[in-house]
Amino acid sequence: MRIRSSSRWFVWTVSFAALTGVTAAMVAVRDRLNAAHVALAYLIVVQLASVRGGRALGLSLAVTSFLAFNWFFLPPYGTFAIANPIDWFVLVAFLMTSIIAAELLYRAQALGAERERLEATTRRARSLEETNRSKDAVLAAVSHDLRTPLTTIKGLAHEIADAGDERAEIIEEEADRLNAFVGKLLDFSRVTMGTAALDVQPNEAEDLLGAAAQQVQGRLDGHPLVLHVEPSDGMLFGGFDFVQTLRVLVNLIDNASKYSPAGAPIEVGARRRDSSLEFWVADRGSGIAESERQRIFEPFYRRPGEALNVAGAGLGLSIARGIAEAQRGTVTLAAREGGGSVFTLTVPAIDLDATSSGDES
Amino acid sequence: MEHDLVLVIDDEPQIRRVVRNAVEAGIGKVIEASTGRAGIDLAAAERPSLIILDLGLPDVDGADVCRSIRAWSAAPIVVLSARGSVNEKAALLDAGADDYIAKPFSTIELQARVRAQLRRARLAPAAVPAHVLEIDGASIDLAKPSVKRDGVAAHLTKTEWQLLRTLIQNAGRTMTHRQLFHAVWGNSHGDMQQYLRVHIRSIRRKIERDPVRPRIIVTEPGVGYRFENELPP
Repeated sequence: MRIRSSSRWFVWTVSFAALTGVTAAMVAVRDRLNAAHVALAYLIVVQLASVRGGRALGLSLAVTSFLAFNWFFLPPYGTFAIANPIDWFVLVAFLMTSIIAAELLYRAQALGAERERLEATTRRARSLEETNRSKDAVLAAVSHDLRTPLTTIKGLAHEIADAGDERAEIIEEEADRLNAFVGKLLDFSRVTMGTAALDVQPNEAEDLLGAAAQQVQGRLDGHPLVLHVEPSDGMLFGGFDFVQTLRVLVNLIDNASKYSPAGAPIEVGARRRDSSLEFWVADRGSGIAESERQRIFEPFYRRPGEALNVAGAGLGLSIARGIAEAQRGTVTLAAREGGGSVFTLTVPAIDLDATSSGDES
Repeated sequence: MEHDLVLVIDDEPQIRRVVRNAVEAGIGKVIEASTGRAGIDLAAAERPSLIILDLGLPDVDGADVCRSIRAWSAAPIVVLSARGSVNEKAALLDAGADDYIAKPFSTIELQARVRAQLRRARLAPAAVPAHVLEIDGASIDLAKPSVKRDGVAAHLTKTEWQLLRTLIQNAGRTMTHRQLFHAVWGNSHGDMQQYLRVHIRSIRRKIERDPVRPRIIVTEPGVGYRFENELPP
C-alpha cells in the first residue's frame, strides 16, 4: 500500500513513541510481569504498527522490541546477556511470531490492494464500454436525423425535376454530396473515438477486388481499371473487416481517379508478401512530394494549391489509416516508377490448411 | 402493373409521401400505416403484393415486423433504413426481408428495387428452373446437373452444386452468409466465412467470364452473395 511520505513519518514516529511508552510502563512494574506479558504487549504494538505502516515498520518494530525485550526484561537486566537458556527460546519465538505476523498482514493487504486495483480496472473498462455505446447511439441518431430529411429533399426534388424544372436535379445532387460528407464525418468520428466495431473475418482477396471494381464502376471519369492478382491461381486469404477494407480500397481508387491525367489507367492489385496480404492502388498522377507523404494522412489536410472542391472533406486517408491500424495493418504511400503514386494497404495474411474448404464430397 | 398493392409502413409522413409518389408513378397503388402494429394488421387485412418497411418505428422493432409478416405472408419486404450498417442489413435479411435500401435513396433506385422484387415474387417461389439457365456466356442445367462456360464443360463438386442451387433458387435476392451456410452445410461448424469464400471463388472460376469481376454471383459486402437474375446491359 502506498502512503504519502508525510503521513508515513507520522506513523513511524507514533509507533516508536508507543513502543517507548509501553516499554517504560512495563519497566515500572517489571517485578509483577513475566515474559509472556511482555511478549504479548510488544506483539500488540508491532501488529498495530504493521497495519498502519506496512511491512518495513512492522519488521523494524519487531527487531527493536526484540532488543528491548532482551535489555529490559530478561535477566540480567541492562545487558544483552541471557542468564536462563529457556529465555532464549522465549525471545526467538517472540521475534519469529512478530515477523511472521507482520509478513502475513502485509500479504493480506497487498492482495486486498490488488483486488481493489482489478476492480477499478474492470469498472473503468465497463464505463468506457458504456461511453462507447452511448457515443455510437448518438452517432446513429445523428445519422438518422440527417438522412431522413435528406431522403425527403431528394424525393421531392425528383418530383419537381420530373415536372420539368432542371434546377431540381442540382438539389438532388447536392443532397447526395451532403450525405456523402455526413457519412465521412460519421466514419471519421467512429474511427477517432475508437467505437468503430470491426468485424475481422477470413476474407479472400479476389472477392474484395471484385466488390471494389463493382462499386467504382461508372464513376472513374473514363480511367480504365486494371486488376492484378498474384499469384493468379493461388488463393489469397487475409484477416480483415470486408466492408471497412472495401471502403478504404474504394477511397484509394477514387483518389487515384481524381488525380490522374485523362484516360490514364488505374491499376489495382493484391499480392502476398511475407505474413501480410497487400492491396495496392497505382496511379499516373503528378506524384506526392516526400515532405507531404506523412501529412496527407492527417485529417482535413489539403495539398498546397489544391482547389477546395477537389478532395471533398480531406478525411478519406485518415479514416483509411485508422481502419488499417485497427485491424493490425498499414496504409503507406510510395512514389511510382515512371511517375505517379502507389498506395499500399496491408492486412494480416491467413494460411489456408487442407481442411479449410469444409467439402465433404 | 397497376393492380399491385404496396403497403408502406413508416412513422414519418414526409417519407410516406415520397414513397407513395414514387410507387404510384406507374408501379401500383399505395396503402399506408404509421406504426408497426397497424402495419402488421393492414398487411393481414389487405394482403399487399409488396411491403415497404421503414426501420426505427416507435412501437415495434423492424426485424420483429419482418418476422411476424413472414410467418404467414410471402409478399416481398423492402426495408428502408438510415443506419446503413451491414449488421442491421444481414439481421433483417435473416428475419425475412427481401431487400434493404439505405437512406437517402433516389426515387429511381427505389422504383427499380420495388419492380425487381415484384417481378421476382411473380415467378414460382424456390422452384428449380426446368430449362437450362443461360447467363453471361454460362449455361447451367440444375436438373442434369451440368455447367458450361462458353461451351466448355466444367466440373463442380457436390458442395459447389448445393451452393449454386441455393443461390439460383433465390436468384435476385441477397442470401446472407448465415442463410447460405445453413442451406449448404446444415449446421454451423468450422469456419463458415472461410468455407463460403473458398467455394464462391471456386464456382466463380468455373462460371464467370472474368472471376475477378464477377457479374453472375455478386458480392453484397459484409452481408452475403446474390445470383443475378437480370444482368445490367
